[in-house]
Amino acid sequence: MAAYLLALRLGRWGIAGFGAVAFLVTLLQAAGFYKIAGRTEAERQAFGRSISVLASQFTVIIAPPIRPDTVGGYVQWRAFGFLAILFAIWGLASASGAARGDEDRGLVGAILAGGLSRPRMITARFAAFATGALVAALAASAGMLVGVASGGETISTVAALQAALVLAALGVCCYSLTLLFAQFTSARNSTAIAGVILLALFLVNSLSRTFDALVSWRWLSPFHYYEQSSPLTPGGTLDVRAALVLLGIAAAAAALAAFAFRYRDVGSPLISLPTPSRRPSYQMSRSPVWRIPVLRDLYERRVSLLVWTVGLSALGALFVVLTKSIVKPLLAIPELAPYFALFVNGNIYASFFGYIWFGFAQLLMAGFAITQVARWSAEDSDGRLELILSNPVSRARVVIERLIVLTFGALIIAAVSGVAVGIEAHYQSIQLNSRRLAEASLLLVPFTLVFGTVGALLASRIPRATVGILGAFAFASYLTVELGPIFKLPVWAQDVSAFKLYGQPLTAGTDQTGLVIMLVIVIAGLMASALVMERRDIGA
Amino acid sequence: MDVAAIQTSKLSKNYGQGRGLFDLDLHVEAREVFGFLGPNGAGKSTTIRCLMGLIRPTTGSAHIFGLDCIRDYVSVKRKVGYVPGEMPQFGSLRGSEVVAYLGALRGGADLISVRRLAERFNLDLSRRYREYSSGNKQKLAIVLAFMHRPQLLILDEPTSGLDPLNQQEFFALLSEAREDGATIFLSSHILSEVERMCDRVGIIRSGRLVTIADLDELHAIRFHHVELDFAPGTEVPVNAIRSAAGVEEVVASDHTVKCIVKGSFEPLLDALRGATVNNLVSHEPSLEEIFLEYYRETAPTKAMTP
Repeated sequence: MAAYLLALRLGRWGIAGFGAVAFLVTLLQAAGFYKIAGRTEAERQAFGRSISVLASQFTVIIAPPIRPDTVGGYVQWRAFGFLAILFAIWGLASASGAARGDEDRGLVGAILAGGLSRPRMITARFAAFATGALVAALAASAGMLVGVASGGETISTVAALQAALVLAALGVCCYSLTLLFAQFTSARNSTAIAGVILLALFLVNSLSRTFDALVSWRWLSPFHYYEQSSPLTPGGTLDVRAALVLLGIAAAAAALAAFAFRYRDVGSPLISLPTPSRRPSYQMSRSPVWRIPVLRDLYERRVSLLVWTVGLSALGALFVVLTKSIVKPLLAIPELAPYFALFVNGNIYASFFGYIWFGFAQLLMAGFAITQVARWSAEDSDGRLELILSNPVSRARVVIERLIVLTFGALIIAAVSGVAVGIEAHYQSIQLNSRRLAEASLLLVPFTLVFGTVGALLASRIPRATVGILGAFAFASYLTVELGPIFKLPVWAQDVSAFKLYGQPLTAGTDQTGLVIMLVIVIAGLMASALVMERRDIGA
Repeated sequence: MDVAAIQTSKLSKNYGQGRGLFDLDLHVEAREVFGFLGPNGAGKSTTIRCLMGLIRPTTGSAHIFGLDCIRDYVSVKRKVGYVPGEMPQFGSLRGSEVVAYLGALRGGADLISVRRLAERFNLDLSRRYREYSSGNKQKLAIVLAFMHRPQLLILDEPTSGLDPLNQQEFFALLSEAREDGATIFLSSHILSEVERMCDRVGIIRSGRLVTIADLDELHAIRFHHVELDFAPGTEVPVNAIRSAAGVEEVVASDHTVKCIVKGSFEPLLDALRGATVNNLVSHEPSLEEIFLEYYRETAPTKAMTP
């Protein structure tokens, strides 16, 4: 029981965070449905047809909706489809942390030294995550019920509970599978390898909707069993058998993980290849990279920078392809005109691409800034900043160097992804104004720096709470812009969003006012964070 | 007259609820080896972090070679080599890269000096930091602190994690640094460690400096718990032990005698002459026991302040 409570305590922030996000997502989608779907039967049917056409272009990623003309069908598709991916990621991160991250931190050794057996430890971790996933999934259902109530309608509570159950089962299944994969990999690679396998399982299921050759393999994927249930749609049910398969996979994978854990050394994978012996070296690195400020920090984080650059470039190119395949059929549907009117003006392809890609790219760049800020906070709490400042360097220099590194990092990502988008747009015969594409890409840099400088200020003042606050700010800003037109939020409320400052540079050119405000925030944030850093206690 | 290597005046850092550092007055001469002794949580690291300009004192001041530790913190670091209480994470960086990285922050590190130090401690710099044991991380901290031959070494429990052989090597390195004219500020909670190296020792407890003692005073403070196991048939010389100089709190039962020995063991060994001792166990008291003993003896003249 103590191990279970400890595991719950270790995961409490994850439960609270994912629970809050799940609640908000379903609440906003359910409430948003009444804003955009209309009130009459005819309006809703037209809306449902539009969504079905729109969704048919995304079946490579998410399953097509069932009865999107109803709030249940819409939320099942729009919110619970997204939450399935989110819970899978949560399971992945949580399990790799529990299986290997805690070993690196010495926590597993300490717990085992207390007399707890390895299988019981795995059982406690599994039970704690299952509890947390169920709580967060129930929060999702609660959000939906509140959202539906806001529209003056009702939906079956039993159906809502069933949706929560299946969602939690999927999260637990991904958790157990990661727990199992982590037994066979080094601590360093466990998240990446488990992530690749889970992604492959996801793609096997989602691509099987397009490629018949994969149909015979989708029984392998937990996502396939998740999609068998759609309790929120009218006439939909919980597929008990599929749900039991999910839980069965979860239990079997956890049992196997516990079995493998019994036979491996703590800190090592179950099977490890012997490393060749080599002569020790007592030489300091002579690489000139370490002598050049900024360059040394960029070099140190070269792998993550490469991943961000390649990832954003690939996604940008993918969005170009999607734009082509989505817009063309949609233009033929007259009912979609009012839906698009909310978001699109001018050249439909450029507008659509600018809206979906640069809106998403902003969110990703905010994420990039947050990961850098998280690193600054970690440097403070783990003592690295203390060691850096034991050298003759000023604190202001540390702040400035960090932001220059962030600037160059953002510049590399924005420039390369901009070029990738330009090239793909050329191949897809989509006319994008080159100058505006360059502006839109480069504007991502000051946008990233807004989050960076706000983060630097927070990291200088309250390093341990920085990531949470900044993440919440980014998420709220994104939601304000994305949902502002749907919920008809007042203009001033939408203007508060950091995403609003970026504007629509691909179609409307650079928003000079927004740019100036961003630069003012960056300069003020830089000066304030340097000032606060000079006066604060390190490691406090 | 040389400027003091370390000078603090009423240095305080108040964390509230009686925690922190209070009214610390220290004066450490240049080229002195000064031990800073105290149990865990006494305020040693807080003092060091104030000296390093990492935290701002609530009141009072601290100077290193005449430079204000807060105002002139960058200039101070040019003169200081620092071993922190705990080494941070450097993930997948190799030891050689950590040295190059932090060396570059000083404007470059001496390749030969680094090599000599790494060889001396048998520290393989080609390995990744995450592969280092805690002992190897501590060796790396020592390399980083000594590689630029600083005028002042501020060392926060520098031998933690080191095996006895490397501890010997470390003390030899300290002796050489001292001969080269460096000032050493050595924080520790191990009495024998500071006794071995230091000219003077400051003892801190609950955030307040209890005393500054030279080596003779330190010897007077220290004592040993001794347990003697006599062979069956041997007459236990209890009276001789009780009357031996420096021997106190004698408790005898059957063939066993327990006592406390202050200062030299010579009087006790004289008292044992002629008796067959099967076993003699002596161990150092904890710092807390030393403090209690110290306060017991000095209570009339020195008030114990929390």
